[in-house]
Amino acid sequence: MNRTHGMTKRWSTAAIAVALAATLAGCSQGSASGGGDSGGSGGSTTVTLNGDRADFAEGYSLAGDALKDITGFGLEARDVPSTENYQQIIRSSLQTSSTTDLLKWWNGYRLQELARSGGLADMTAEWEQAEEKGWVNPDTRDSFSYDGKVYGMPMYKSYWVIFYNKNVFEEAGITPPTTWAEFEDNNAKLKAAGVTPLFATQQAGWTSFIWFEEILSKLDPEFYADLMNGEAKYTDPTAQQAMEIWSDMYAKGYFTAADVAWDNEPALLAEGAVAQVPMGTWRNGTFAGTGMTDEDYGAFILPPFDEGTDPSVIVESGVISVAEKAKNKDAALETMANWLNPDVQQPWVDQIKDTSANPDVTTKDPILQGVLDEVGSEEPTELVRYWEASPPALIEGGVQFLGSFMANPSKDNIMPTLKKLQALADTEWANWKAAE
Amino acid sequence: MQTTAPERAVGVGGAASLPGGGTSRPTRDRLSAIPFLTPGVALVGLLLLVPFVATVYQSLTRDNGFVSSFIGLENYGRLLRDPTFGQSLLNTLMWTIGTLILPVGIGLLVAVCTNSMPGGRWIRYAFVLPYALSGTATAVIWGFILRSDGALNQAIAFFGATPPASGWLLEWPTNTIVMILASTWQATGVTVILFMVGLQAVPPETVEAGSMDGASGLRLFWHIVLPQLRPVTIVVIGMSIANSLRVFDLIWLLTKGGPGAVSETLAVTMYRQTFIISDYGFGAAVAVVLSIIVVGASWVYLRQQLKRT
Repeated sequence: MNRTHGMTKRWSTAAIAVALAATLAGCSQGSASGGGDSGGSGGSTTVTLNGDRADFAEGYSLAGDALKDITGFGLEARDVPSTENYQQIIRSSLQTSSTTDLLKWWNGYRLQELARSGGLADMTAEWEQAEEKGWVNPDTRDSFSYDGKVYGMPMYKSYWVIFYNKNVFEEAGITPPTTWAEFEDNNAKLKAAGVTPLFATQQAGWTSFIWFEEILSKLDPEFYADLMNGEAKYTDPTAQQAMEIWSDMYAKGYFTAADVAWDNEPALLAEGAVAQVPMGTWRNGTFAGTGMTDEDYGAFILPPFDEGTDPSVIVESGVISVAEKAKNKDAALETMANWLNPDVQQPWVDQIKDTSANPDVTTKDPILQGVLDEVGSEEPTELVRYWEASPPALIEGGVQFLGSFMANPSKDNIMPTLKKLQALADTEWANWKAAE
Repeated sequence: MQTTAPERAVGVGGAASLPGGGTSRPTRDRLSAIPFLTPGVALVGLLLLVPFVATVYQSLTRDNGFVSSFIGLENYGRLLRDPTFGQSLLNTLMWTIGTLILPVGIGLLVAVCTNSMPGGRWIRYAFVLPYALSGTATAVIWGFILRSDGALNQAIAFFGATPPASGWLLEWPTNTIVMILASTWQATGVTVILFMVGLQAVPPETVEAGSMDGASGLRLFWHIVLPQLRPVTIVVIGMSIANSLRVFDLIWLLTKGGPGAVSETLAVTMYRQTFIISDYGFGAAVAVVLSIIVVGASWVYLRQQLKRT
């Protein structure tokens, strides 16, 4: 009896061990972000896409349907909600067979970092095909390239604008500014009316670069581009002047406290507690999600600091790249060759409420149409966003120093901040070049 | 207690001298223990030691997550030259001292004061309930309270006072101190529970005997109760040291270690270097230093305390 009991127990233990091993093996398979060989209806190939924007789910679905009509390949998107975790997953999975076929990334130096690791497939042919069809602006090619080859397709094209609350503007008797002097005058009137004129926070970490970037690029677009490319110094007089303008605006009480939650930004704009918010048009969908319509809010491009300075606008593109080790690499490349097709882009941008990188794709959104009209009439110089415009380690360290300045935006803190930024730039540019 | 060790030594020696066929019994005992020990040792080895060795190796490399090259001790040299690391060490020390004084002290006070107080359990609930919250939930709650547009400043303004212009989370050392207070709010519950367990294990006869000898109040507590709480105090302090050295979630969610890394602790520095800056080798070097400090501090503390008991 005992013997039988012992045997039963041993078999149970063995069964549990096997079950556990199978579960663990299953987990390891399940945790891989790999793409399926086939899936979808009728056993056709399904291309997998990984990203960090859960709010794009519906957009991916609509774009996937349109792509399937054209290529016959389905699109299955998955999301890692935290950008930090997402980057970590891509870094550890890109060079393995557990990578997804497609991945969302960022343009500029962030894309270059990934491309030079050898983890991305060359998409030059697909880019040139899109260029021939007029689906993409050839001038933007550098932003998606490394070493002369293209490694990503633009996911969208976001312009960095100032969103403003129309009701608050009306109550204060002001209109969107066309000059910096008007912008300053508006801020003074808003402040006098008891409304915080401008949103600014360092709470989310990355958000601390926004005003530095906006002020510097409006002060001298060429200097901004040079600084970002490592051809100018943070300690140069132009950068000092930008910081002084920023410090003055702080002294006048134009900004929200530096620790206001970034997540509260849409609500603060909607309720009129803050009158103006500098942000990429990719956040337009979130603003619309608060219930505001085009009667409640609008957007304008911040005018140049001096009237003689050329107008400029910061531009940002998410990127979709193909993993070199993608299971369905050919299908993924064909999918990307059609990504900028107007039939795909129209439902995609209508859903995410942003503008397309395909100049032929229009928008039904009146806010975005207003921005596109302003871009069309002003023809501003398009500048790469700070986040993507220098090596990632320099940017990540830089936002810390700028965040520190926002906590203490005094004149005395300008030079120490700029010196720290320049020391960091010297180190990180050397590291970047050493890794070439 | 001091006689236990020699007794045990005699016991082992006695067993060794027993006659055995070929192999002595202890050797056989040891061999027969191996199958029982193997799963545990293998699990510890696999889950703790292998990652630790891998981390030590990674700390000797320049690694951006894609390519890695061996650079010897360069990351440790960078650590020593990095002012952020010094600030991080200082903050970690502040957290350790703060956590030792506040949750342990308040926990002991609450447990002792409410132990025999009528309705004391309701007071204890107030301290114990926050312990049921995760670090993340605690950070979200305290974020609502401490931000410049948060509940605390609104309350200060409501009562006619002026909130501090610099903000609670924007200036060092204020931000580190308020975060230690937030952590105290959450962590005191477990120390109350542990001290309550300790107090209930104190034999009432000893307290009665003390009372009959004329001791009362603080004197009774100091000379009769506190010495008997020693074992539980060792556990509570040990846990507090380890927890304070690896504090992360609260800081990350409230300040992200900023502004400008002023409120970083070693665990936050490790995370930022590894997962934000993607300098995996440097992050691993911070992890190794942190591990050495945590294990070293715990080992020294427990060795000292267990030797005395």
